[in-house]
Amino acid sequence: MSVQTNGKQRSHKAEMALKRMKSKLNRQVVGSLVGCVHCGMCTDSCHYVQTNPGDVTYAPAWKADRLRKIFKREIDWTGRVFPWWVGAKSVFSDEDLEELKDIAFGKCTNCRRCTINCPMGVDFATFNRMLRGMLVSVGVMPEGVAVVSKDQWEIGNQMGVLKEDYLDTLEWMADEMQIELDDESAQIPIDKKNANVVYSINPREVKYDPRTISDAAKIFHMAGEDWTMPSEGWDMTNFGLFSGDDDLGGAVAGMLYDKVIELKGKKLVISECGHGYRSTRCEGPNWAKKDVPFEMESSVITMLNYIKEGRIKVDKSRNPQPVTFHDSCNNARSCGLFEEPRELLQLVCEDFREMYPNRAENYCCTGGGGAMSMSEYAGRRLKSAKVKADQLKATGAEVVVTSCHNCVDGLSDCIKHYELGMEVTQLVNLVANALVIPEKPVVVPVEKEAEKVVAHAESLVNRTILIVDDEPDILTFFSTVLEDNGARILTATDGEEAVELAMREQPDLITLDINMPGKDGGWVFSRLREEKATSQIPVCIISGKPELRRLIYERSVPPPEGYVDKPVDEAMLMRNVRKILDLSKRDQTHSVESN
Amino acid sequence: MHVNGTTIRVEQGDMTLTEIEAIAFYATEDLKLGTGFGNAISMRGGPPVQEELNNLAPLLPLQAVVSSAGDLPAEYIIHANGPKFQETDMAGKLKTTLVNTLAAAVEKGITRIAYPPMGAGFYGVPIQECAKVMVNTFIEHAQRGSSIKEIVIVTMNKREYQPFAQLLHEDTKEVAA
Repeated sequence: MSVQTNGKQRSHKAEMALKRMKSKLNRQVVGSLVGCVHCGMCTDSCHYVQTNPGDVTYAPAWKADRLRKIFKREIDWTGRVFPWWVGAKSVFSDEDLEELKDIAFGKCTNCRRCTINCPMGVDFATFNRMLRGMLVSVGVMPEGVAVVSKDQWEIGNQMGVLKEDYLDTLEWMADEMQIELDDESAQIPIDKKNANVVYSINPREVKYDPRTISDAAKIFHMAGEDWTMPSEGWDMTNFGLFSGDDDLGGAVAGMLYDKVIELKGKKLVISECGHGYRSTRCEGPNWAKKDVPFEMESSVITMLNYIKEGRIKVDKSRNPQPVTFHDSCNNARSCGLFEEPRELLQLVCEDFREMYPNRAENYCCTGGGGAMSMSEYAGRRLKSAKVKADQLKATGAEVVVTSCHNCVDGLSDCIKHYELGMEVTQLVNLVANALVIPEKPVVVPVEKEAEKVVAHAESLVNRTILIVDDEPDILTFFSTVLEDNGARILTATDGEEAVELAMREQPDLITLDINMPGKDGGWVFSRLREEKATSQIPVCIISGKPELRRLIYERSVPPPEGYVDKPVDEAMLMRNVRKILDLSKRDQTHSVESN
Repeated sequence: MHVNGTTIRVEQGDMTLTEIEAIAFYATEDLKLGTGFGNAISMRGGPPVQEELNNLAPLLPLQAVVSSAGDLPAEYIIHANGPKFQETDMAGKLKTTLVNTLAAAVEKGITRIAYPPMGAGFYGVPIQECAKVMVNTFIEHAQRGSSIKEIVIVTMNKREYQPFAQLLHEDTKEVAA
């Protein structure tokens, strides 16, 4: 369907997109639209331009002119009267919208580096976001943007993490922490009312990097903080910032604010995420049209204060490797958070080296603005990452630290592509690693320990466990531990053998390594879940690389019953196996009855 | 609200965990479950749901089709291919889609259905308009006399809940047929 406009047919989508643009114009946007004098100061500030020097279509002013032309033709009197004179040009067809999509999503990460280099204060990123919003409102967007937006609209978090998986992960992280600290009072409190701190996280932490959750929990516990995590409305990220959809922005931020209010929390602490921090702390109240009656703070500041106030003690010699710091665009350029992470790094690392340029002038990780979710532009993204790679390499550091999950992914891709051999980590990991934990006096009640071992020795009798791993050492270790506890053991060293054995032997549990040559753990897991005969067999994923969790969780099959990070010790293995087989409760019952 | 023997109400919760006979799902033409509620259905319902849908696709615009619900608490899922992203006559098309879901439910003998705010959120139907169309369509259906005894609108948050609550609580008296 189309409408007649100035003698030209305009598609319904184009008409609706323009209507949206008109409804979103405000002083800030109009100021940027009319303020450009085409001086070219922005050009070299853009990492896309620097890696595509001969291609004018990457220049911020050129990209901005695509929207500016529409504005002139539709709104500004000069373009309405003399379109040929001022270069005014509107959009008419669905193809015109596709062309705009390529610019808005594929040639800009909304990093705002051009903005701070513009003498006229033109904020291109702001109206590029508006352009994205126009397109999204008529369904014109990269597939990845649609996928993530729909998850956040309908599940409440941008990675579609279901409530049971989120709570399960928190419970497991609390268990790991208790074992590590040998302290049963170390908990992750859920939905505790009147807590001093409500801690919100990025769903990426649940799906791919749960160690950031247990590290943060450890820090809160050691600081003696009165804290909690919400059972719902816990996602502090906000894809509305990237998609330009203010309604999504308001809905997501509103859920988080409502939850903190319901819990009567005094302060909302936002885990390390650049766009999450900006969305929740800076933009969210406007999108959600809400007054926020509590304090909001980055976890970087919380951790720094704990050290300054003497609530936790750290030993920087535990982080001896040379580290550099990557400023997230949203944290640094948009929110001014750049001195605190450096102060914290100096306290927890021995060898901190600055990256140049830095702070507000730093270059984007190249995965910003939702770019990591747009696979169709991965080639352009990685090409532009050459700027970042050169910056990283020049530091001579072995580790790059960032306070942003998006940057962790962007930098990891860049490092892999340019073979830099660096590790990427976050401040929470370094602080947790540097924590000085007072040692407890060790008293081993010899007889009771012996009783415990005997009591557990029979715990896996009549259970068959299939161990799937390509590493002989792991196979031997797992087999020994589980056999000693009474289990019958089957082993497989590759994916096909594992599926065949599972079908034939119907084990009670499968421990599955993700990273195997040939058919990897992801493939095996899918096959097991899809086959009727094996779909109900509990699976415990074993991996040394949290980032590989995506091989499992991005499949549209029910998630695994358990997940264990390597390295695995005997206690951890047994605890997880028993938990999955639901033996813990039975043992407790038995123990109560025995008493 | 009670209309001619049919209860229409709103509650806040997780639609795919609702204990009810059928849930409605805002589907696409290819009947791929995809993300969002589709992800929750896939994960909690298991692979058989998508397998069944593969044999039912394509689903023409505004039409509805019923599938089983796998391991979900509900027994059925009513998939409805409603209007998306500011199509022309969104309200009219949404109403037709809802009427078709009700017809599909009646034909299958389903008496209790849970709906999300259909088309709101990702597909861009403003929540106020969504609430108005849904509530009016359900009332009209019930006024004509229906074998459907309960319709529950399940919302995820306060923002979605309030417009429905306002419309449903406006008149708490029995509405005559």
